[in-house]
Amino acid sequence: MLRVHRPGLMTTVQDAGRVGAYHLGMPPSGAMDRFSFSVANLLVGNTDAHAALECTYLGPEIEFTEPAHIAVTGADMPLKINGEPVDGWTCHAVSPGEVVSFDFLKAGARAYLAVSGGIDVPPVLGSRSTYTLTGTGGLDGRALREGDELKTGAAATSAAAGASVPEELRTVHPSQVELRVVVGLASYRLVPESLAAFFTTDWRVTPDANRVGYRYRGGAIEFVDRTPPAGAGSDPANVVDIGYPVGSIQVPGGSEPIALLHDAVTAGGYATIATIISADLGRAGQSRTNDVTRFVEVTLEEALTARHELAARLTRVHEALGAG
Amino acid sequence: MTAAARPELAPGPDGSLYTFGGDEWIVAQLSESMSLRANLRAQAVTRRLAELALPGVVEICPSNAAYMVRIDPDVVHPRAMLERLKELAEEVGEAEDFVLQTRIVDVPVLFRDEWTHETVMRFRDRHQTPDRTDLEFAAELNGYPDTDSFIAAMVGAPFIVSMIGFVPAVPWGYQLVPADRQIEVPKYVRPRTFTPERAFGWGGGFSAIYPVDGAGGYQLFGICPGPIVDPAQRLADFREQFTFPRPGDIFRYRAIERAEYDAIRATVEDGTFRYRQREVEFVPHDWFADPDGTVRRLEGVLDA
Amino acid sequence: MAEHIVHAPFPGVFYRRPDPESPPFVNESDTVASGSVVGLIEVMKMFQEIRSEADGTVTEFLVENEAAVDAGQPLMRLT
Repeated sequence: MLRVHRPGLMTTVQDAGRVGAYHLGMPPSGAMDRFSFSVANLLVGNTDAHAALECTYLGPEIEFTEPAHIAVTGADMPLKINGEPVDGWTCHAVSPGEVVSFDFLKAGARAYLAVSGGIDVPPVLGSRSTYTLTGTGGLDGRALREGDELKTGAAATSAAAGASVPEELRTVHPSQVELRVVVGLASYRLVPESLAAFFTTDWRVTPDANRVGYRYRGGAIEFVDRTPPAGAGSDPANVVDIGYPVGSIQVPGGSEPIALLHDAVTAGGYATIATIISADLGRAGQSRTNDVTRFVEVTLEEALTARHELAARLTRVHEALGAG
Repeated sequence: MTAAARPELAPGPDGSLYTFGGDEWIVAQLSESMSLRANLRAQAVTRRLAELALPGVVEICPSNAAYMVRIDPDVVHPRAMLERLKELAEEVGEAEDFVLQTRIVDVPVLFRDEWTHETVMRFRDRHQTPDRTDLEFAAELNGYPDTDSFIAAMVGAPFIVSMIGFVPAVPWGYQLVPADRQIEVPKYVRPRTFTPERAFGWGGGFSAIYPVDGAGGYQLFGICPGPIVDPAQRLADFREQFTFPRPGDIFRYRAIERAEYDAIRATVEDGTFRYRQREVEFVPHDWFADPDGTVRRLEGVLDA
Repeated sequence: MAEHIVHAPFPGVFYRRPDPESPPFVNESDTVASGSVVGLIEVMKMFQEIRSEADGTVTEFLVENEAAVDAGQPLMRLT
């Protein structure tokens, strides 16, 4: 069992996400940085089917009551066991009574703490991921609190303390990030100069950025004049309400783009102009408030290549850990 | 008129536009403007797509005048899927022969209730008309002499649930009345930071119900006693799925008084609440020929 | 006298007041007790109280009110 001494700022149970209910308004949730999540699970002998803890900005302090293997990946949030610094991206054995804690975040936004056997909470719609808005999944559908107790599932025997991900396969988190996007959706609502400027502007992540979406400041977007189509309403930033892909970028009011992430609102009436490619969603989720972001246009083919490269990197981690 | 940014990414003459949402999503806009026809085409294509159970299709999401598909690009190439969706649209055409197998649901609403009224008054500074209520504003904007006749129009014909989302369960309702009787209202000038759960509102051409307390920008007219989400899945209508509305549902909003509201709330509290609902066939061809007669027949099934 | 620095535990926007109309939680030369609230940080649509981890007297603020702060950034100096 895991006993939560301090919950951190926003620590939630997450897995690979919930699919099949987007048409009912249910976003996938799940780990914001899928690569780091998968690697943390691999290090402790788990699979993607196991849930881990996503620790945002400030890590928790957790006591283990049973022996377990743990690993922390993702954000650079230095890990300590019983107050002693230990390496990230590495499998560690913890003994009953030992306490896991973190130093201040150094880079990135979200650390993944995986525990052998996975965090055992009841799956909802096929996933253990926490979606706080409707209190779905995770531990009672909410972030961890002081005094919470978490069970773990049956651990595989393949975890090996000391196993570590080679430096070159770990993720680094610069404070200036580039996110690749495919242009489309309602991009036709923008004037050409605005779409061009979108890609040359330094966008700064606002403090309200969370799992639902990231809002950015730094420029203005101008829409093409038009007679509002039936049902759209008179605001030039509006279209007839439509589905929003995860990763899609909308521009309410023409000034503050919002990129929707894993707890996305699933539909609405704002014109969306582009979508972050799947390979870069993790990088978006590791950017943090006040960071500078540039959006870079890519083709669909480049997006697919990036997706395959990320999958290949995970395969290399597998091989390096001898788990492949 | 200023030109759009990318002519190749602009809608065709019929307003249709297929684009990629990154590498995992395809958004198919069938029309730039809302109409029942556009929504029925979206329902027809997405139902057909679900029947086909194509490999690599992960999510199928009909929306008002569009639909969206999430795919696994490791299983199916997005371009191949996009071509398949265009073929499906051709097959479905104008959905002339489409028959919507659905259910009609009685959804009681208490208009001018104390809870949404309190919210409406609290956020007057974010509204177009700080000196009038949302109901008064919307009634006048749509040419109704008073709020009673405006409410009568809203409950005068049922709505098709043309899209579900924003947050879980929000039923976007497009009223089954001809275009010249469609109600349309703007959203708040600045969104509210609070809306009570189960509030009934309207924004653009669509009605909606707020499932849980939260921010919102729709004009607020009333509150529903029945929930549309039940995360604990305590109530019979929520045993299989904790959200109630389904795409293509027909919701008949019915104005109730406070006594009935309280009585229904008591059944929600004691766990016996159920929506009154009947299976129906909605035949678009009939509706286009005789909208009023067709909705009266549908309501007859519900009230029989 | 031992010096103590109050750090921002996470990134966000630092506020010296609970709301714009209220006086600051603490001013320079105020004495604070360990565990008392010395500011707020706004992040992810939440306002989190920042508490001193030591007794002392505020000698200097190291960031302005409403400044963007990063995790681990020094906020104020106590002696």
